[in-house]
Amino acid sequence: MHEIAIAESIVQIAEEKARSQNARSVRVVKLRLGTFTTIVAEALQFAFEIAQQGTSCSEAQLEIEIVPMIVRCVVCEESSEPVRGICLICGQCGFPLQIVSGEELQIDYIEVD
Amino acid sequence: MEPVIERISVKTNVLNANQQTALANRELFHKEGLLVMNLMSAPGAGKTTLLEATICALQGKLRVAVIEGDLQTDLDAQRIEALGVRAFQITTGTVCHLDARMISRALESFPISDLDLLVIENVGNLICPSSFDLGESLRVVVCSVAEGPEKPKKYPVMFNKADLVLINKVDLAEPSGADLQELMNNVAEVSPNATILALSARTGEGMPPWINWLQYAVDSHASSSRMLNVSL
Ligand SMILES: Nc1nc2c(ncn2[C@@H]2O[C@H](COP(=O)(O)OP(=O)(O)OP(=O)(O)O)[C@@H](O)[C@H]2O)c(=O)[nH]1
Ligand SMILES: [Mg+2]
Ligand SMILES: [Zn+2]
Repeated sequence: MHEIAIAESIVQIAEEKARSQNARSVRVVKLRLGTFTTIVAEALQFAFEIAQQGTSCSEAQLEIEIVPMIVRCVVCEESSEPVRGICLICGQCGFPLQIVSGEELQIDYIEVD
Repeated sequence: MEPVIERISVKTNVLNANQQTALANRELFHKEGLLVMNLMSAPGAGKTTLLEATICALQGKLRVAVIEGDLQTDLDAQRIEALGVRAFQITTGTVCHLDARMISRALESFPISDLDLLVIENVGNLICPSSFDLGESLRVVVCSVAEGPEKPKKYPVMFNKADLVLINKVDLAEPSGADLQELMNNVAEVSPNATILALSARTGEGMPPWINWLQYAVDSHASSSRMLNVSL
C-alpha cells in the first residue's frame, strides 16, 4: 500500500504550489502515470480520497493520464510497446532496450481558484 | 459569480522529496567513503541468511554494518548482532518499504565513519521498495528458486532497477524440480544490464563469486570516492 505515501506526496506538492500562487483551493490535480511503475491507478484514486481530507485539495479531482511503456533499441532504432511478459532485449539484434517512456510519476499541472 | 479557475504548470516528480533526501544521504556516504547496498526481495527469499553467510565470509576483510527494515520485531538485527556486527533495526509499523528519511534518521544515532560497507536490508516486498531511493550505490535483488521462475516477469520494475540479481536457494532447485535456467532467462529479459549470480546461502554453494563481486564493488567505489572527495 505505498499508494498512501504517493497520495500524501501528491497532496503536499499540490498544496505547496497552490500556496505559492496564493490560490484558495485546488480543483484539479493532473498526474502523468507510466505503466512501468508499481502504482495502480485505482488504488491511488482511493488513497488520494483519504489524503486530500482537511487540506486545500479536499475538493480536488485527481485526473490520471496513463503513459504507455515505450522501449527503443539503440542499435536498430526500432521502437515498440512491450507486450505481456515484458522482454527488454531487442528481438532483432539482441541488445538491451532503452525505456523511452512508462516510468512517469509526475504532477503535470494543478487547477486552482 | 463563477470562480475563476486557473491552470498552473507543476511538472514535479511525485517522489521529489524522497529523492532530495536520498541525494543528501548519497553525498554523506560518498564523503565517508563507504559503499551502501540496498538489499531487496520478496519476504523470506533469504536476505538475512545471505547477510549472515556474507558477514562470515568477509570477516577480517571488510568492515560491515547493517540496517534492517521490517514491519515489526528486531529479530533480523539480533541475528546480525549475534555475529558481532553492528546492526540497527528500523520498524516501519505498517509502511511496506524503507524511505530515504528513515535512513537519514537512523544515521543520527548509527555511526558509519569506520565502515567499508553498509547493507540496508529492505522490507520483504517486491513492489513498493523499488520506488524509494535510499541513497544507495548498489541495488541487489534476491530471488529464491523456490518462488518459481516467473517472478521477474510479474515484478519487472523491481528486477529492472537491480545492479545484481542473486538467485538464492539453488540447493532446492533439484528437490523441488524448479527450472533454474528459465528463472535466469527471465531475469535477463527484464533486467538485461544486471549481473546474475546463483548461490545457496545455506550450503555455501556459489558464494565465492558473490564475495568477489562485492569485494570488487567496495574497492572500486572506495577509489572513486577518494577521487571525488579530492576534487571537491
Ligand atoms: N534451503 C535453503 N533455505 C534457505 C536459504 N537461504 C535462506 N533459507 C531459508 O529461508 C527462510 C527465510 O530466510 P531469511 O534469511 O529469514 O529471509 P529474509 O529474506 O531475510 O526474510 P524477511 O526479512 O522476513 O523478508 C529461512 O528459513 C532460511 O533458513 C538457502 O540458500 N537454501
Ligand atoms: Mg530478513
Ligand atoms: Zn535492435
